[in-house]
Amino acid sequence: MSTTAAIQEMLAEHGYVADRQVVMSVYLAQTLERPLLIEGPAGVGKTEVAKVVARALDTELIRLQCYEGLDAHAALYEWNYQRQLLHIKLDEKSQRPLAEREADLFSEDFLLKRPLLQAITQPVPPVLLIDELDRADEEFESFLLEVLSDWQITIPEIGTIRAVARPHVILTSNRTRELSDAVRRRCFYLWIDYPEFDKEVEIVRRKVNGIDIQLAEQICRFMEKIRMQRLEKVPGVAETLDWAKALVALHQHHLDLEVVADTLGIVFKDQRDVAQVKQSLAEFLEGLGVRAKLAPER
Amino acid sequence: MNHKIDDIALHGALSANVVGFCRLLRAQGSGPALGEEQDALRALAAIDLSDPEDFRLSLRTVLAKTPAEQKLFDALFDIYWSVWDRAGELGQPQPESSASEKASANRPGKNGLTSIRDWLKQGEPTEEEREAAGYSPIEVHTKRDFKDFNAEELEEIGRLLQAIARALATRFSRRYRPARPPGRLDLRRTLRASLRRGGELLDLSYCRRTRQKPKLVLLCDVSKSMDLYSRFLIQFMYAFQNAYRRIETFVFATSLHHVAPLLRGNDLSAGLDAIAAQVPDWSGGTRIGAALETFLSEHADLVDHQTALVIVSDGWDTGEIETLEESMRALQRRSRCLIWLNPLLGSPDYRPATRGMQAALPYIDLFAPAHNIDSLKALVGYLMTLRGATAAQYLRRRPEPPASTKAVPAAPTRDDWYRRFGVQP
Repeated sequence: MSTTAAIQEMLAEHGYVADRQVVMSVYLAQTLERPLLIEGPAGVGKTEVAKVVARALDTELIRLQCYEGLDAHAALYEWNYQRQLLHIKLDEKSQRPLAEREADLFSEDFLLKRPLLQAITQPVPPVLLIDELDRADEEFESFLLEVLSDWQITIPEIGTIRAVARPHVILTSNRTRELSDAVRRRCFYLWIDYPEFDKEVEIVRRKVNGIDIQLAEQICRFMEKIRMQRLEKVPGVAETLDWAKALVALHQHHLDLEVVADTLGIVFKDQRDVAQVKQSLAEFLEGLGVRAKLAPER
Repeated sequence: MNHKIDDIALHGALSANVVGFCRLLRAQGSGPALGEEQDALRALAAIDLSDPEDFRLSLRTVLAKTPAEQKLFDALFDIYWSVWDRAGELGQPQPESSASEKASANRPGKNGLTSIRDWLKQGEPTEEEREAAGYSPIEVHTKRDFKDFNAEELEEIGRLLQAIARALATRFSRRYRPARPPGRLDLRRTLRASLRRGGELLDLSYCRRTRQKPKLVLLCDVSKSMDLYSRFLIQFMYAFQNAYRRIETFVFATSLHHVAPLLRGNDLSAGLDAIAAQVPDWSGGTRIGAALETFLSEHADLVDHQTALVIVSDGWDTGEIETLEESMRALQRRSRCLIWLNPLLGSPDYRPATRGMQAALPYIDLFAPAHNIDSLKALVGYLMTLRGATAAQYLRRRPEPPASTKAVPAAPTRDDWYRRFGVQP
């Protein structure tokens, strides 16, 4: 059996519709033990890759959500101050030497493990998802790089902690800023774009129970065309799925003008987009071959 | 059965060709480093080589690390490896040289436009330039100031640009650093210190938030009409790029080019060479609207609510005005503030009357000249006067400046701004 086919199967089994590029990069990252950097527009399923890989490998998913101002403490470890203070109070009367008490206070019992430290102290290699790295700043990036290349973390009070097993690392970025070259060079790279029509239909059919094939195709045709328009926020696959689920819940078997107009808020998350699409909706749907149920019937 | 690399001869030929391919990518401005060449070889050892698609995808995963690099990879892959296919026998002459020749022939031609390097080499002004300089006092002034920068002046420009960036700084980071009180109690350090006193919290440590720099995106017009300012522009971009890390630089004439990576580093002349190779339409026509539209569709992610967008252009647009207006509207909405630096504005006779400028004006938060060091200084000064509210916030509040009273000195208005530069509104 070819080497990549196993990965393909594994992803499919856990409900992820992957093209060959996705399969190849997941395979290589696994085999060569390198971090995988996934970029692409919002809502195309970047984070989903990590979740599926974790499920498929039957291992834990440890997630580090990046945000502005994320620093080493929030990512690595922090001391449990409240507990330390209590401990100091309890220990007040003790005659033990200071050095000993200090060693006590900075032992692992008082350590709060944050995602990165958690990830490298697991006996079974987990999937470490570093989500939206572009939101963190460059300083954090270089700090992360150090961890990712050495697989060890030094805590001054305790010493150096080496990785028990190397986690499978997946990083995602929405490209709100360019990541540093060093990070890119270190990782393998995968760009996920909005899916092609066929792939999106496949995703909808897998993810939305009981959906009509005709409806699924109409929805995906709609999404395919609408993404070509200039929008404030281009709807991703997440929106497609939400919409499909909503339409199924409404017992729709096909699109019509009225129901589309009523549910636009699910697809578009910006008021201007809703307004813009609404304006030319009848025309747009006609272009897709959707007959508009006309108002006079009501 | 096993299609992995086991044959030493095959391995050798393949390695040489992978290295050749990496070299070709590098020559075209993509950057697989040495480590990645090794990755590529390791990747090939891990896959089924009998499948050409697997072969392509694995190299793509390992060697192309941005969408732009992927594009380049896709363009060059067939050119390079099809030659390899045709070579037929393994160990045959490597296709490297012929492929790179082909690839460079494929590169967009210069279409008779001047490259920056050639342009810079022209020590003497051309007839055209002299003529232009003849009828416009401001341009004479510009040329005198910006013909040659010495190190000192460059340093000064760097300082000024840093000051501009600082003035635009708007936000507090969530990072903390040690500080004197009042500040936030730093438990970690406090506790540490308390141990020395037997656990009593006697010495309190504090920390405070650091001020965060905003992101800057710089869009520079390098079309023919901006030629007189080109020397200045190059220095400007270079200095800005090196004074300030969170900046992305683009140049445009008829199309848009991302030049930030080329300007990083210490070597200006190497940067210029790289730009010359990548910007074929330097001093071509201008289509600001189209360039901004491209920027929006390809790089809009770089602009968010904390990005200050700086456009340097004279506003001569030969493209569609509607596109320009539409793009300006979108850019203003996305960014924290939109600054338009127009070198022509330094001329006392200048009116922003071109159609392009007219269309763009309503969306500009700050319209200012930038044609020499003095004007940059004035710009810094102006941004610095906007105390209290930070400059960017203040700018975004336009066009309704707070009502002035006698007690509180009025914040400068756009008219003050014009006056400061001797421009009649």
